[in-house]
Parts: sequence; structure tokens; C-alpha cells
Amino acid sequence: MRRFSEHNPIAVAVYFLCVLSVAMFSMDPVILIISLTGALALHFRLQRLSGGRTHLYTLALCLFMTLINPLVSHHGATVLFVMNHNPVTLEALLYGTASAGMIAAVLYWFRSFTCIMTSDRLLYLFGALSPKLSLILSMAMRYVPLFGHQARRTRQAQQALGLYREDNLIDSLRGDARIFSVLMTWALENGVITADSMAARGYGIGRRSRFSIFRFTLRDGLLILLSLLLAGGTFWAIHAHAFTYYPVISAAPATLRVIPGFAAYALLALLPLLIDAKEAIRWRCLQSGI
Amino acid sequence: MIVIRSRRLRTLLRFLLPLFIIPALVLLGAVVFPERLHLLVSLGVAALSLMLFVAGFERRQTGSRRMVLTAVMVALCIAGRFIPLFKPVTALTILAAMYLGPEAGFLTGSLAAALSNFWFGQGPWTAFQMLAWGLIGLAAGYLTRPLRRSRPLLLLFGALSGAAYSMVMDVWTVMWYTEELTWPLYAAALTAALPHTLLYTASNVAFLWFLARPIGEKLERIRIKYGL
Repeated sequence: MRRFSEHNPIAVAVYFLCVLSVAMFSMDPVILIISLTGALALHFRLQRLSGGRTHLYTLALCLFMTLINPLVSHHGATVLFVMNHNPVTLEALLYGTASAGMIAAVLYWFRSFTCIMTSDRLLYLFGALSPKLSLILSMAMRYVPLFGHQARRTRQAQQALGLYREDNLIDSLRGDARIFSVLMTWALENGVITADSMAARGYGIGRRSRFSIFRFTLRDGLLILLSLLLAGGTFWAIHAHAFTYYPVISAAPATLRVIPGFAAYALLALLPLLIDAKEAIRWRCLQSGI
Repeated sequence: MIVIRSRRLRTLLRFLLPLFIIPALVLLGAVVFPERLHLLVSLGVAALSLMLFVAGFERRQTGSRRMVLTAVMVALCIAGRFIPLFKPVTALTILAAMYLGPEAGFLTGSLAAALSNFWFGQGPWTAFQMLAWGLIGLAAGYLTRPLRRSRPLLLLFGALSGAAYSMVMDVWTVMWYTEELTWPLYAAALTAALPHTLLYTASNVAFLWFLARPIGEKLERIRIKYGL
């Protein structure tokens, strides 16, 4: 059983790149609705119903963006009403709604991306780019909790010495500055010691090898191929299908190749869910076979 | 996204990217593509600039000590972003660039943006943040001598880089929203972000005022003590 999130990080990154490249650069309402549906479905699949506040925040952002566009943009032919000598048009309102929908979809895609791409996966990706960069990244990641721990220890030592009181703002600021200073000296010296230890054990002598727990299998290749094909097909299909908001909302007449384009994008957007569903069904079959 | 092993190819890229590919992309974006694709072009330019620096970084012989110290500065920047309101990231990037070199400055800024966004939220803006902070670090690295000699100049540089960061991110805000950059919208975004801009500028100046000497002394001490 291999879920979508357990594919090779390179394949997952290519998938998100494909789905986002269509989602970010098309203002076609059908594409927007497909993209938003897929993004929300994947988000709820990954994170269930947690994070109610972020949903509220996104909703507020979308409402704000929908309402602000007709106030600053006065293109469009259908005037709804006039405010402060400026026309508020239907087209601008709809364009604002579409922008807000696109932004919400992109935000949700990125949330799922951050959820799947944990730091080890991202380091693997960066490692493919440059082993040295990947080493710096992983060291910095490790230093963040280490420094927090060391800062707490320093603070306790300072408090035990009675060097500052908590209730006085100036005193506590000076205490924080002192802790930061101590931490920084310690961090730099510690860094040099680490580097010396690395050199002593032969860092930089041979070619750098790297270990990774992620394999690249045939199915990762298939996922990459499928993502690229579907995104390319969508672009090819909707390229000619211009949807304009200004001055009047108009869509080019639907040609034969638009429908497969939408279908291809729908397939692309729901691909993670389909893969997971397929795996779940197979698992059931295997279980019932026992 | 594969390691460029051939030294000749890397050198070629280092010349081709800034002199031909990036200008060509920008020109194409202005002339050929419809307005909607501006966003794609700017994302592409950001990605290509980062690739350029990655190529340059792998090529140059960076000592392991300097590398670890860069990681330390990145971690300090990330930790600093958790301070409410006042963010020392830009100030720390400038200081890292002044004492560890322009390349380390670029890396400190861009990696601090990329990594800290794991806590603060990844998005399409990450590339722009990486580029903005990276370029601030790079500029500070090239201006090391005057910045070290004159304190008012350093504070001025901090203030300007705070304002520049905010202006770059506002271009991004507007383009993300409407995909065309119009002056009224940009002006509106700048005005809306004015409190943030002032806060960035003020916190940069304040942090440089307080941190420049102590952190500079520490970095200089490490440099002398271990002969970097």
C-alpha cells in the first residue's frame, strides 16, 4: 500500500508544480472551480477537519478581495451603481470573485504541499540540487531547537544568579539581550568546533555521497509522466478558449477540445484522491483474500 | 534540479543566466506574452536567479567552517523571526554578509526565508522573499568596507533595505492579485503596507543600532581566533 504522499518527493513536487501552474495562470471559471474543489478535497483528506481558524481567515481574505476589486477597478460595461463618482461594475465584482477563488485554491494547494513535504522530503529535493546546500539546510534546521534549548538553560542560569527581575521591563529586556549575546558566542564557537570535527573525520576529502530513504520506482515515473501530460493537455486545450472579464464577460464558443481539457484538469486535480482510493480498494481486496 | 557536476557547464550557466537568459525572459514577458503571464515570468526570474547563486555556491571552495557559521546565522535568523513585531532577520543577514562575505549573505537571507516559512506558511511568495532577502545580503556583502567603516551609512543601508524589501513584496502582492501592475493599485498596496514598511525600517535601524557592534565583535573574534 503506497499512498500519494508516500511517493518519491521529486514526483510529488512535479505533481504540485503541474497542478499549480494551471491553477495560478488560468482565470477560466470552470478551471477555477475544478482547482478549488481538488485543493479542498485534498486538504480535507490530509488534515481532516482541523484548523478551523485558518479556514475562517481564508474566507475573510477572499471576501475582502472580492469586495475591494470593484472599488479600485472601474473597467467593465455593466454599471451596478455609482459610488463617490466612481462606477462599480458587475465585471469588476466577478473578476474580484474569480481572483479570490484562485487565491483560495492556491493557498489550499500550498497548505497540502507543506503538509506532505515534511522537512526530510524537502532536504532530499534540495540534496538533488546541491549536496552542500542540503547540508547547510539540515544543520540550520537542527540548530533551531538546539538554540532554543540552550537559550532556556542560559536563562535559568541567569535567573539563578539573580541578574534580572521579570516584573521590570527594562531589566527583562537587558536580560534578554544578555541571553542573546551569550547564546550567539556559544553558537559560533560550537559551530567552529563542529566544523573542525567534520574536517577531522574527513569531510570534503572524497566526493560527497548521500543517503536517502526514498526510492524512485516505476510508479513515481508514471506519476511524473501523467502529471506532465495532463497539465500539458490542459494548457493546449484551454489556450485557445479565451475567457475575458473586461469590458464585457465573454467566453469564446466552446470548441471540441475544451471539454477534454477540462476533463484532463479534473483528473489532474483529483489524482491524489484517486491514487489513495485505488490503493484502499486494493488493500481491501488483499484483506478479504486472506 | 540535478547536480551540475561539470565545471564547464556551471561556468557557462553563470555567464548565460544573468547576461542572456534572464534578460531574454524579461523582454519576452514584456513584448510577446499577454499580460496574464507576467506572474509566470517573475516567478521564472526568481527561480533562475536562485539557480544562478546555487551554481556559483557549489563551484566556489567554501570552507566547512564558513559553511557551518552560515548555518548558525540562518538558524539565528529563523529564531529571530519569532520575536513579535520587530524582526531582526534583515539586520542579521546584513551582519552575516559583512563578516562572512556576499555569498554567505545571500544564502543566509534566502535560506532563512525558505526555512522559516515552514513555521510561517509557504506560498508563492516564498521565492520573492528569498530573492529580496538574498539580494539585501548580497548587496551588504559587496559594500562591506564602507558599511564597516561608517556607522551612519550602515544604519542608512538598513533603513533603505527595509523599505526596498517592502516595495518588492508589494509588487508581488499587486501582481498576485490582478496580474497586471497598475500604478493606482501599486500605490494603494504601498499605502496599505505603510505601517509594515515603517516597522521594517524602524526595526532594521534599531537592531543594527544595538546589534552591529556586539555581533560584529563576536564574528570578528571568531574570524581572528580561528583564522577564517
